[in-house]
Amino acid sequence: MNILTMLWKNLWGGSRTLLFPARPKVTPRFRGLVQFDRTRCTGCAICKMRCTSRAIEFKTGKGEFTWSYDPGQCTFCGRCVEGCKDHALSQESACPPIYTAIGELKKAYTVARKPPAPKPAPAPSVPTQQSNITSGGAQ
Amino acid sequence: MCYCRRRSPWLFHMNSGSCNGCDIEIIASLSPRYDAEQLGVRLEGSPRHADIIVITGPVTRNAVGAIKTVYDQVLGPKAVVAIGSCPATTNVFIDSRTLDGPLQKHIPVDIFVPGCPPRPDAIVQGVAKAAEILAEKGRIGGSVDGAIKPQAIIEVQP
Amino acid sequence: MNIFTALARLLIFPGVLFAVPAAWFFLWVERKAVAMMQGRIGPPFMQPFYDFIKLLGKGMPPRTGIAGTIMRAWPLIAVASAVGAVGLLPVLPASGGFEGDLILLLALLEVPSICIIAAGFSSRSLFGEIGSAREAVLSVSYNLVFLLAIISVAAAQHTFRLEALAQLPASPLRWLGVIAILVCLPAKLHLNPFSLPNAEQEIYSGPITEYAGPELAMWELSHGLEWVAATGLVATLAAPHVTLWWLGAIAFIAISFGIVLLLSVVAASTARLAIDTTVRFYWQCTLIFAVLAISSALLLRFKA
Repeated sequence: MNILTMLWKNLWGGSRTLLFPARPKVTPRFRGLVQFDRTRCTGCAICKMRCTSRAIEFKTGKGEFTWSYDPGQCTFCGRCVEGCKDHALSQESACPPIYTAIGELKKAYTVARKPPAPKPAPAPSVPTQQSNITSGGAQ
Repeated sequence: MCYCRRRSPWLFHMNSGSCNGCDIEIIASLSPRYDAEQLGVRLEGSPRHADIIVITGPVTRNAVGAIKTVYDQVLGPKAVVAIGSCPATTNVFIDSRTLDGPLQKHIPVDIFVPGCPPRPDAIVQGVAKAAEILAEKGRIGGSVDGAIKPQAIIEVQP
Repeated sequence: MNIFTALARLLIFPGVLFAVPAAWFFLWVERKAVAMMQGRIGPPFMQPFYDFIKLLGKGMPPRTGIAGTIMRAWPLIAVASAVGAVGLLPVLPASGGFEGDLILLLALLEVPSICIIAAGFSSRSLFGEIGSAREAVLSVSYNLVFLLAIISVAAAQHTFRLEALAQLPASPLRWLGVIAILVCLPAKLHLNPFSLPNAEQEIYSGPITEYAGPELAMWELSHGLEWVAATGLVATLAAPHVTLWWLGAIAFIAISFGIVLLLSVVAASTARLAIDTTVRFYWQCTLIFAVLAISSALLLRFKA
């Protein structure tokens, strides 16, 4: 008879359904589309290596590189985000949108390569200056 | 008639080699929280009864014949919804020897619902969109086989 | 009754004009009640109407030869006989029937089941054949109880006329018959726990697997009309006798509605039973009921 009490409670408790256009909120840790921050990326292409489904593509050119991402290919695992040492990638906490043609959601960014940090000028080998150079190199 | 087509989409669910994650989410979209039945959706047992074919899974070589047969058995006007990223682009299985390409290679697909697996509310939204496309198809050309893309592609915001 | 009253009853009230919206209404009530009991919002009110119109607009599979024509004919026969069955119901008391119309009603109620069985076999698809075989076994099982119960109620009162049955005083035998019929109704209307012919997970829609488009619309319509006719039959036997004609009609409709809700509760709270359990249920448990009813009817008859 438990089923009858359950049905009774359901009948008088109202429905638990979300009325159609309404959608539930996703949790903050939801892994949605990958967002690219062009100011932080240095073009190491670790994300392309780590990507499980080849959603990230990387083309190098003269002094610039193109980073492209196809959400249709993506499996939203987050390996690229974890592997990016510059923290240029993050995943938005929202559902990816529906699309009607393949490749519609593909995004490509061309980023100019930043010039490398100027090397400090080599100095004659003096112990104090040497420690200076090593500390400069480490930075 | 188009109004009635939009209000009563009947689904036929087909699994062409998927991991069953998307299938579980499709069943979840019929559960009380996401209730696809409020749109008139009914999961039918026979492809001859359905309007919308919901396909999951990267298309394995064994499944290609079955998909084509089922697609022919569904009577027009019909729509195809590809659930998950597997039918769209074969996702992680991209170099597998047992697959036969994305679904678009074999049958015309109308709606792609991305995600791995997509959330049930995204699936319900995709089915609702497919019902609208179905109504459009009916208005354009009677019982037409093959996907006719409507003029305006409305991007749905999450 | 002359030909004009007969045609009016068949086509207007309670014939096609009232039966078809009533069928859609009852189908919606069942779906909505099951949904609300499961904690969902169900389909909107006009949903069976939308389904019907949409199905009319779909294409039809090509059917060739004599077998194809026979296949096309089954849904139409089912709808026609279901409409006839609804037309015989005495919704308004003293609406004029004829002697023996209970027998005609039972016969017309059987025809849609027979049409489904025949349709499954004539579609020559594997799933159709299995579904039809199951439906046939089910039909044999519940029909025995169903017919014995009705005949016992009718025979005890020396009449086979529906409106005379509607106006009978209540008696324990009548309630026994009503309960026996209510037990058979889920099987007749393909509801859980006896929804075997529609087992989607196993046989892909069963007997009507190969039907599509307008034919499927006719099958759905005949299903809805079966609902109306079967619940109307029980309401005829169970309704209290009132003198005002419109009050009687309202009581009839209210009791039909109540039976639909009761069947929805049964459908929502049970799961599908396998064929051997179903057959065992009808032959072992409820047959005792029916035999009890018929023997007490015969005893009453010989005593009276």
